[in-house]
Amino acid sequence: MALVDKYKELVDLARQNNVLVNESGKVLKLDGVVPSASVKNKMWEIYQRIDPQFKSNDLLLNVKTAVSDGGKVKVVTKESRLNIRKGPGTDQPIVGKAEKGDIITLISKANDQWWLVRDNDGEEGYCYAQYLEPIQ
Amino acid sequence: MKVFRLVSMFTLILALGIGASSCKKVNDADVQKAAQETLAANPDLAGVVVTVQDQVATLTGVVMDDATKAYAESTVAGMENVKSVVNELEVVPPAPDFTAVDAAINAALADALKDHETVTAAVQDGVITLTGEIRERDLPVLMEKLNALNPEQIVNNLTVK
Repeated sequence: MALVDKYKELVDLARQNNVLVNESGKVLKLDGVVPSASVKNKMWEIYQRIDPQFKSNDLLLNVKTAVSDGGKVKVVTKESRLNIRKGPGTDQPIVGKAEKGDIITLISKANDQWWLVRDNDGEEGYCYAQYLEPIQ
Repeated sequence: MKVFRLVSMFTLILALGIGASSCKKVNDADVQKAAQETLAANPDLAGVVVTVQDQVATLTGVVMDDATKAYAESTVAGMENVKSVVNELEVVPPAPDFTAVDAAINAALADALKDHETVTAAVQDGVITLTGEIRERDLPVLMEKLNALNPEQIVNNLTVK
């Protein structure tokens, strides 16, 4: 079975949102920016339903939620508080913490992994982007 | 006058004769050598071997794409004393270089794995291979982080607890 058929539900949702779908050899790649975090979360939900433990090794789902500098982002850690660091890297000193569920401000993106943010106390620093969910 | 006409006729016959015989004397080996030298001047065509028989050039060997294959053919076809070209070149794309991709993934990997101490990752040719163990509820979080690093593939050999 072709991978686009195996992941049909995911591929359909990806195409509706102009996410690039590319089947090259043994891996299906979905790459792009989706308009909201709910679309991104929905895609991960479908992926996990088709491959519960991510053991097929045949899909790459790299979707980001659209957000511009100055936009609001929500802290989406599992349970702990999110470290705000002096620079973009886990080797950088922690300058503050953001609570789970906090809505803070994105100042700019240092790169895909690290975003410069300002928390509600006015503290500025870098957070790991996977724990920040852009909100509309 | 008669003598002159006779002489000029002989000259003409002689010239034609020489001309005709020189046409027949095309040496395939010379043509082959010239063609091979021309191809060798272009690094893209280094894998091309040309053999010439009865002024028909046959191309064998490997090139990186269809455009190079066509270019090799037109280059040889345009050469003197080549009547036609048999293009038997094989197109084999070069293996991509993942050095930069691996370096970028490795640089970002430490941060991605920071909260997952029981997970080990190895990177080769853009493929991230995971070993170790992880709690089931942490797995989607880790996968989302790793998918964002632009790998070619993620091979998950983790024991899920």
